[in-house]
Amino acid sequence: MKKTTGIILVLCIMMGLLAGCGAAETSKSPAKGGTLTLFTWEGMFPQEILDGFTKETGYAINYNNFDYDETMLAKLQAAKGGDYDLVIADDYIIETVIAEGLAQKLDKSKLKNYSNINPIYQGQFYDPNDEYTVPFGAGVQTIVFDPEQVDIDIKGYTDLFHPSLRDSVGVIANYRVINGLALKVLGESYNTEDISKIEAAGEKLLELAPNIRVIKDDNLQDDLLSGEIAAAVMYTSQVTMAKMANPDLKIVFPSEGIGFGIMAAFIPSNAPNAEAAYAFMDYLLRPGIAAQYFEWLGYYSTNRAADDYISDEYKEFLTLPSDFAGNTEMIQMVGAEAEEAHTKVWTKFKSAAGQ
Amino acid sequence: MSCTAGTNAMKGKKKKTAGISVLTLLPLYLFTIVFITGPLIYMFILSFLTRAETWGVVNEFTLRNYLDILEPIYLKTFFESFKLAIITTVFNIIVGYPYGYFMAKLNDKWKKRMLLLIMIPFWISSLMRLYGWIIIFRANGVLDRILMGIGIINEPLKLLYTYPAVAVGMVYALLPFMIFSVYSSAEKLDWSIVEAARDLGAGRWQAFTTITLKMTLPGLMSGVVLTFIPSMGLFFIADILGGNKVVLVGNLIQEQLMKAHNWSFAAALSVVLMILTSLMIYLYRRITHVRDLEGLV
Amino acid sequence: MKNRTRLPDIFLGVVTVIMYLPILLVVFYSFNESRITSVWEGFSLKWYRELFRDKAILEALVNSVILAVLSSFSAAVIGTLGAVGMTRVKLRSNGIIEYISTLPLMIPEIILGIVFLIFFSLIGLPFGMMTLVIAHTSFCIPYVFIIVKARLAGMDKSLAEAARDLGAGEMRAFFDITLPLIFPGIISGMLLSFAMSFDDVVISIFVTGVNTNTLPLKIYTQLKTGVTPKINALCTLMLGVTIVMCAISAYIGKKYNQKRLNEEESL
Repeated sequence: MKKTTGIILVLCIMMGLLAGCGAAETSKSPAKGGTLTLFTWEGMFPQEILDGFTKETGYAINYNNFDYDETMLAKLQAAKGGDYDLVIADDYIIETVIAEGLAQKLDKSKLKNYSNINPIYQGQFYDPNDEYTVPFGAGVQTIVFDPEQVDIDIKGYTDLFHPSLRDSVGVIANYRVINGLALKVLGESYNTEDISKIEAAGEKLLELAPNIRVIKDDNLQDDLLSGEIAAAVMYTSQVTMAKMANPDLKIVFPSEGIGFGIMAAFIPSNAPNAEAAYAFMDYLLRPGIAAQYFEWLGYYSTNRAADDYISDEYKEFLTLPSDFAGNTEMIQMVGAEAEEAHTKVWTKFKSAAGQ
Repeated sequence: MSCTAGTNAMKGKKKKTAGISVLTLLPLYLFTIVFITGPLIYMFILSFLTRAETWGVVNEFTLRNYLDILEPIYLKTFFESFKLAIITTVFNIIVGYPYGYFMAKLNDKWKKRMLLLIMIPFWISSLMRLYGWIIIFRANGVLDRILMGIGIINEPLKLLYTYPAVAVGMVYALLPFMIFSVYSSAEKLDWSIVEAARDLGAGRWQAFTTITLKMTLPGLMSGVVLTFIPSMGLFFIADILGGNKVVLVGNLIQEQLMKAHNWSFAAALSVVLMILTSLMIYLYRRITHVRDLEGLV
Repeated sequence: MKNRTRLPDIFLGVVTVIMYLPILLVVFYSFNESRITSVWEGFSLKWYRELFRDKAILEALVNSVILAVLSSFSAAVIGTLGAVGMTRVKLRSNGIIEYISTLPLMIPEIILGIVFLIFFSLIGLPFGMMTLVIAHTSFCIPYVFIIVKARLAGMDKSLAEAARDLGAGEMRAFFDITLPLIFPGIISGMLLSFAMSFDDVVISIFVTGVNTNTLPLKIYTQLKTGVTPKINALCTLMLGVTIVMCAISAYIGKKYNQKRLNEEESL
């Protein structure tokens, strides 16, 4: 037995080293134009876009990933704004990034396609003068339900509290969105710093708890499609996937108010290869490429010029409806005390849902 | 005369052996002191600092983080973690001990095969295996289809996102630890002792409890330790199979770090978790009087 | 052995089948045309094609293997030496060092990750394979240590003493007597360490460098955009490779033993 396990070990090590050398050859050899060190979630781009960029510009792409925006901030801080060339993250974290001095101002002369950006997504709270960021996708949280499984007609968050939906609702695990759901039902702002209002929302949420079957971020649409749940509050990309798979599902923009979010790109203050970052952003701003990107991602197109290139079957999902009249509000970071109240409320809610 | 010369020579040799043995301790000592104590001290310090408004900490001493833990909702998470850890460990023993024991009794050829058989699933991402369980547990998933096919049930069980599903997932994830520990201990068991006892008239069960169980106790104990400790901190299984509805200390710590950005509270929670877990192991050791695992707190 | 019932074999068989059930499903869905698991759109190899076009994932896989091998090896050396040393030399500090070295198991990975991140920046270590190996070794050592110590506990110490009385040097006694006896324990510990390291994501995210991507990292960070069956395809392939490798080594082992038997017979 000693011999065979020894052989397995040696084989493992050999294979590891051989493959390691092979990979080192291909990756460490500097590409003609250098490398773009990208930092964002995995699976944001179809392989064609990445390969196309490398082929055209000669920049190799070093695709680094994070799971949460907070992880990104921790790593960026530890690297003192260096190591990464281009970061794509959520709006609220970018506000902190800029406040901590970890992003550099953009030289818009290097972005020929800058004018393709849809203006309604610019001038937002995290970058009011558009000095640091370029938006690359927007989303709202909507309610999606299966009319065959649900007897009532859902028009807003309040309807989710209905007793007929017991143990059949799924929500994303985003505590600001779900706490915000209750805040909206009470007619408050997502970003209120008033502890008593947050606690009132918490009380309201406890009423929703018996209806909750699952709380999760990833692939929530699967549960809707498999019949595990009958209604859900989901991210835009999940809504896209769900509706494409089952066209009978109904999408509802909640009447009480909608949480709006933007994903944006920025260049860290000490980026090693900012030129590569500009090249990539410019490439991604091209209408044809952008359309491909949004179709893959499933989020709203922030690129006006790309809207014409998006194929018909996707158009419905990737652009806000023209008769959209809902009141939207963006979720921003709140102060320490409010945060604590939020997490307490959220913990109680999850615990109650588990009874 | 020659005796004293002999003993002096022995003493000299013993001194030399002690010297070399101390060298074997060196790597562990060095590594632990440099790379583990350092970060741990930082974590400890962190738990006494005050959180900054939106991100990070400021250098202000406070006991607030520890006092905050006394909130009922947070205390509940400790209790839930403890409950789940106990349940997981118990089921792990029920399934894992016999498994490791039976494995040790196989012939050499099969021993090797079983070792590999158990290891191979572990090299497949745990996240993917959890997704496999989702497919099994979900409404009209694999389990439902099998049971409905045999005719035991008529409607989907709706097992997914429930506490039992989480328990199954936890046992599944930690089973190999128990199996390996028990196997490692049982494998070197001298079966001839058991046979001798049987020849002397002991019944099967008696021989088992007086000899086998006692001699495999170190393995069982290390299996318990290796199961209990991680299950206090593991939370992504509760997240995925429990639909995030089972709130454990691990989830809480992650949320405090990642969402509430309250690093110092998360550190305080971790320190308390660490102390509680250590206490459990210590008590366990005292209760079972196992001298063989000397020094293992 | 007298009258062995089939019960043990049945038990082992059933439990093993249950262990593999989720994996079989993972393999099954790697051939699903659809991106989501709740819908089966027919047999397809498209995710395998996508997998092979994704150089980054394959590189991450290689990194993970190297990292796991290095970590489990370091943990084995440090842990085994430590366990053996502590059994022989009773220093008062043994208890504390042992406790501290097992602490990484008791602390949730997420806080350990952040704490390592800050610690490594403070002492100025460059982030990359080195920091990864250090961090991974720290949570692998307890596995080797605990298992080897348990094995040593039941070992007959008189065997090693007898060897030394017969004149064997310290090293020789260790290598020829002690080591072979605790070897199964070391192997168990190493295999567990390899698995733990290979699957680790939380600590890795925090202490990895810009050029070192690991496989679990790629998988977990897909959560926001949704995990695709590309990963199923990868897992299926890994399963296949592992099985093939084990079969090969078993075959080699058999041939080697055969050769030795023949040699012995011919003497």
